[in-house]
Amino acid sequence: MRISRRSVAGLLAASCVMAGPFWATNVLAQPAKRQKPPPGALVYFHYPLDGLRVPERFTVRIGLRNMGVAPAGVEHAATGHHHLLIDTDPGPPGQPIPSDYNNIHLGNGQTEVVVTLPKGPHTLQLLLGDHTHTPHDPPVMSQKITIYVR
Amino acid sequence: MPSRALRLIPTLVPAALACAMAIALPVGEAAAQARAMQRSPAPATAKLSFVGLANNDRVSGKLTVRFAISGMEIAPAGQARRNAGHHHLLIDTGLPALDQPIPSDFNHIHFGGGQTEAEIALTPGRHTLQLLFADHAHVPHDPPVVSERITVEVAADPAEKPRTAAASGGRVFFIDLKDGATIPTRAKIRFGIEGIVITPAGTMSANGGHHHLLVDAEVPALDREIPSDFNHLHFGRGQTEVELSLPPGEHTLQLLLGDHEHVPHDPPVMSERIRVRVVDTVQAGSVASAAPVAGVGRARTAAPNDAAVYFIYPKDGATIFPSSTIRFGLRNMGVAPAGVAKPNTGHHHLLVDVPTPGLGEPIPSDLNHIHLGGGQTERRITLPPGKHTLQLLLADAAHVPHDPPVMSERITVTVMPGGRKSARRR
Repeated sequence: MRISRRSVAGLLAASCVMAGPFWATNVLAQPAKRQKPPPGALVYFHYPLDGLRVPERFTVRIGLRNMGVAPAGVEHAATGHHHLLIDTDPGPPGQPIPSDYNNIHLGNGQTEVVVTLPKGPHTLQLLLGDHTHTPHDPPVMSQKITIYVR
Repeated sequence: MPSRALRLIPTLVPAALACAMAIALPVGEAAAQARAMQRSPAPATAKLSFVGLANNDRVSGKLTVRFAISGMEIAPAGQARRNAGHHHLLIDTGLPALDQPIPSDFNHIHFGGGQTEAEIALTPGRHTLQLLFADHAHVPHDPPVVSERITVEVAADPAEKPRTAAASGGRVFFIDLKDGATIPTRAKIRFGIEGIVITPAGTMSANGGHHHLLVDAEVPALDREIPSDFNHLHFGRGQTEVELSLPPGEHTLQLLLGDHEHVPHDPPVMSERIRVRVVDTVQAGSVASAAPVAGVGRARTAAPNDAAVYFIYPKDGATIFPSSTIRFGLRNMGVAPAGVAKPNTGHHHLLVDVPTPGLGEPIPSDLNHIHLGGGQTERRITLPPGKHTLQLLLADAAHVPHDPPVMSERITVTVMPGGRKSARRR
């Protein structure tokens, strides 16, 4: 596989993202075997973008580079399924992503989801999980963006 | 009055509604007390007229009416200003009482937002149009600022649509359903096609169209859109079968292919009209079960009716760099890698410069049919400069399109010459 400038940029972006609080927790004991993402894997928002003002009900569209989407439970190389984190930080990377109102699982392989949020600022972040909902190592996740619901 | 068959174009409706609400109270008061409202003065030089529309003009049923006012200014309803007001269009009606707010209905259209034009739809025949200016409270000025009352005529025949030519030899037919057959009240009707390809409504193609099933209906006029009602069923997404519920009794069925605008081809591609006898499911059970089994082709995976695949980038008509990332969107379904059979999932195929393939068989795999078997939702492709077509088609675990097929419109993009790469990166 040809490593293009683009995928290098992707790698850089991915490593910047995970350089934060994760490094510290990463050295802890890891119960689950975590999958390695392909080089250049990157998840990003098509919509909304950082700082955007959005209506209360809007569609989040998710882009994924250099990887594929597979429903939860399907073990397939270089795939995962999306999780939308609303107003929350990712949990410990070695643990399955919790399923609640703040951690929306797109377990059927969806690439977009309609969300309804109360007015005000909210943060959104995308995190890919493997077939067991566990983030990859290093995690494939987007930057945390802030949107304003009007 | 509502039966006037005059439809406001949707963008106008909120404005009209807002007006209606704004004057609801004053009208109620006026009716109760029948008192004259104070009228705002208007300069004698004020002049109101239509732009580009004269008395006895022949117009099409859907037209844009533009208003011109001189000597006064336009102010939205509710804002009291000297020598200002907003337009009202009176259709097929005389002047209302001048000391009352102008009524708000299908015949009195308010432009309380200060609009100076409106798209209106008129039924065939003769209609009168007149403009009346009114102040912040919708009451005409004193003296009233009113235009000449003009009469327009809407041609009885809507403009004939150009018909798409059909290749000779194209035909449609019912699969496993003969004239005089007996079917249950709920039966699966399958459509066959030969010599012409299925393309979804909205996608123009040289030799393509989509099915229409005429139930108990004569062949409609061939020079215009096939009607859309219970007797004319459209399969605009390229479906090739339908589960039809009919009351017991004799019915007729006929297939008619329509082009991207739902207009039959020239010559029309249609099946013969067959007669079927619908009987209650219990007696017909044996007949019904025989039909689907004898069907050709492999079973296709069902897709939700509201599923849709679309291009996030590029859009139709866009100019793109020779090497561009094509991004796919999928609504109401999920993505799964090839080989994974899971309900309501599939994987993308990007069709480059090829017509829609046969929907009953696996999508071919070659340079023009790009399989995204790993569940990818974007793909970087390199194309030579010039015009190219792109289409997305979702397929199930075995690469067979769903039923109904989940496919995008076929878009046309222009690849710009030169080897510079896209500057836009995420």
